[in-house]
Formats: sequence, C-alpha cells, structure tokens
Amino acid sequence: MEAFLDNCAKAIVAGDGGGAERLAGEALGSGLSLLQVIEEGFVRGIREVGRLWEEGEIFLPELVMGAEAMKKAMTVLQPALEGSDEAQESLGRIVIGTIEGDIHDIGKTLVATMLSANGFEVTDLGTDVPVARFIDEAEARNADCIAISALLTTTMNGQKRVIDELVKRSMRDKVKVMVGGAPCNEAWAKEIDADGYAGDAVSAVALAKGLAGKA
Amino acid sequence: MEPVVLEGFDITIERGEVLRLLGQRPETGRDSGERLHEAVHEALSRVGALVSPKGIYTVTAGTELPGSSYFDELERVAFCVCTIGPAVEEEVTALSGRGELLRAVVLDSVGSVAAEATADYMDRRIQGEAAREGLKTSCRASPGYGDWEIREQGAIFELLPTGRIGVRLTPSFMMVPRKSVSFAVHIAKKPIRMRGENSCRNCDITDCPYRLLE
Repeated sequence: MEAFLDNCAKAIVAGDGGGAERLAGEALGSGLSLLQVIEEGFVRGIREVGRLWEEGEIFLPELVMGAEAMKKAMTVLQPALEGSDEAQESLGRIVIGTIEGDIHDIGKTLVATMLSANGFEVTDLGTDVPVARFIDEAEARNADCIAISALLTTTMNGQKRVIDELVKRSMRDKVKVMVGGAPCNEAWAKEIDADGYAGDAVSAVALAKGLAGKA
Repeated sequence: MEPVVLEGFDITIERGEVLRLLGQRPETGRDSGERLHEAVHEALSRVGALVSPKGIYTVTAGTELPGSSYFDELERVAFCVCTIGPAVEEEVTALSGRGELLRAVVLDSVGSVAAEATADYMDRRIQGEAAREGLKTSCRASPGYGDWEIREQGAIFELLPTGRIGVRLTPSFMMVPRKSVSFAVHIAKKPIRMRGENSCRNCDITDCPYRLLE
C-alpha cells in the first residue's frame, strides 16, 4: 500500500504521464480508497513538484510534465470517484481567464492546470474574456475566486475593471480576486484592491489556498 | 520608399535558443531530461510545415511615423513588421486543449524562436540595403520595450500595409498572429544606440530565467 502510494507520487514528480495513468488504472480495481490514492499518492506528488519548483530544483518543463501526468491520472480516477460514495474535498471553485483584449493563453492554461491538479474546481474561460463574463460565470458557478491573467500594460487595466464591476454588483465580499501576468506585481494588486498577485503557477496555488483558508 | 514585402525565405531555428527559453542552461548543468529533448526534437521536426515567414518594411524619415515624435531627430529609420503566420499558435492551442501541455509549451517556444529568427532575417536584409550605401544600422527597438510605448505599435501599423503579410493589431495593440515582431532600426553613418535596445545587459531583472549569460 505505502509502496503503491509512493509510486503514484513518484510518477508525478518524474512527469511520467504513462506511468501515472497505469497506476491510476491499477488503483481502480484494487479495492484501495481512491481518495487515499489521490490525496496520499498523486496529490503528494504534485505538491512535491511545487516544492521543487519553489526551491529552484526544477524548471518549467518538469513543472509542465508533472501537471500533465497529474491530469492523466485524474482523468482515469475522476469518473470512478464520481460514481462512488467517496467524495474528494474541493479546495474551492475558481473561474480563470485572460482578460479582454489579450489573447495570451499558455501561462494562464498552466496556472489553471496546476490549480486543478492541486484540488481546486477550475473553470477556464479561455482568452479575451469580457469583464462581465468573468463575473457572470463566477456568479453562475458560485465561485470562491476569480483569477485574471493580463500580459500587456494595455490590458492589465481590465483586471481593475473586473473588481470595479464586482463592487458595483455588490459581490466584492463574496468572491476573491487574484491577478497575474508579466506586467503585474504585488503593488499593482494592492493598487486595484485585488486579494493577491501570483507570479507563476506554483505561487498561484499557494495564493489560492491562502485565500480559501486552506493553506 | 514603397514598402517592401519579403516572403518565402528560409529561417534557421536554433535548438539552443529553444532550450534557453525553456529554462535549460547546459553550462550550469540545468537540464530537464530526455523527455524534454524528445519533445523539442519532435517540435523542431514538424515546425517547418507550420511556419510561413513573411515581413514588410519601409525606410523613411523619423518624422514620418504617424502621430509619433519618438524618432523625430533621426533622418532615416527602417520600420518593419514580420510574422511566422498563425499555424504554430493554432497548433499550440489545439495541443493544450487536448491536455498535451508539454508539447504545447515546447512548440510555443519554438514559435517564439522562429519569430525572432524571422526578425533577424528582415534585420539582415535592411542592414544589407544600408551597407550598399555605406551606412550602418542600430540594434532593433520594439514598441513596449524600454521607453518606447506599446501604444506606438499603432503608428507602425498605420505606416505599413501589414494586411499584405496577414498581421493586424488589436485595440490593445497586440499583434495577431501573436508570433509576430515589429521593430525599428536607425540607419546612418554612425547609428545611435537605440533606447530600449534588445540587451539583457541593460536590464535590472538580473535573476530573470531568460537572461542571456555573458
């Protein structure tokens, strides 16, 4: 059992998608608690990936491979989990997208993948997302947090407009807002009254957990 | 002068440069392993079919840049927009949509290097033209870098009929396709050192993972 969970974690750290998928498949017919396999196996692996990233031990490709392996394992496990009486505790619901006028995609997708890999329920709205759509989707999904990416000095102001619109709709105290993207920083987040700034996918997970009170 | 359109030229995509964008530093032993190298190899072997390098440039007096005074003191400036076309980024989006993030990230980096290589090619052509008249060119400067405002991207697009190479500008001054480069170079006997020129040496972000080691 311990060895099996270790192998699950190791497959994620090694970014071994094929291995992670195979182990997830083995877990299905094993009678093991799938929740335990996820939490003490695969999620432990992705947390380790985050730690290695923070310590500068690994770089973007390994982070991506880890996230991809996690996704493969969860694609196998999620349907089985939904059909069982076990329920994975969600860390919270996050609506994420790149702000209107901006079509940068890949950084935001990586943040969404890491949030999801770490146990958040993530709705990725894509790129060029209008201010109102962020809020409509957050409302419809009863989201805890909106994550807004902006990669240009000309589009980052859209992050502020989302917050202004939340205030206007009297929703600001119901939903947290986190911002990221090349031109953003802590000072910008503070200036526009966002709840936090994250500079990369790993710190975005830490920030989201903090905002959800699950750090 | 009438704008010059160039297309159908070959570019060389340096593998080492792709690896640098992906955070690899062989000189310091930083290496993400075999699977990354396989992904880079795969992306490089298929990217030829996805890139379609094109560029357009014109040479004019600095005062001719519409609505801008940034180059007013310069007698001759070449303004250029170039692109590798939309196919690489369409494939990147398709890959990431299928959850193939590593392949997406790697192909995206290959596309960025290809766009720079396209700008290098255009730059060399402009240099060659200048050399025929015994003139030299400065380093490239691009809107959004240094103190040249990104809003001035609009001025370059007003000057050049970029529709001829399939590049347009969004209202937020972002080029579509994304894998496009716009730049200016000063042409003179003794060209100025461009403000905001493309040099890691002048940048304060000394721990940037993309910083070129000297």
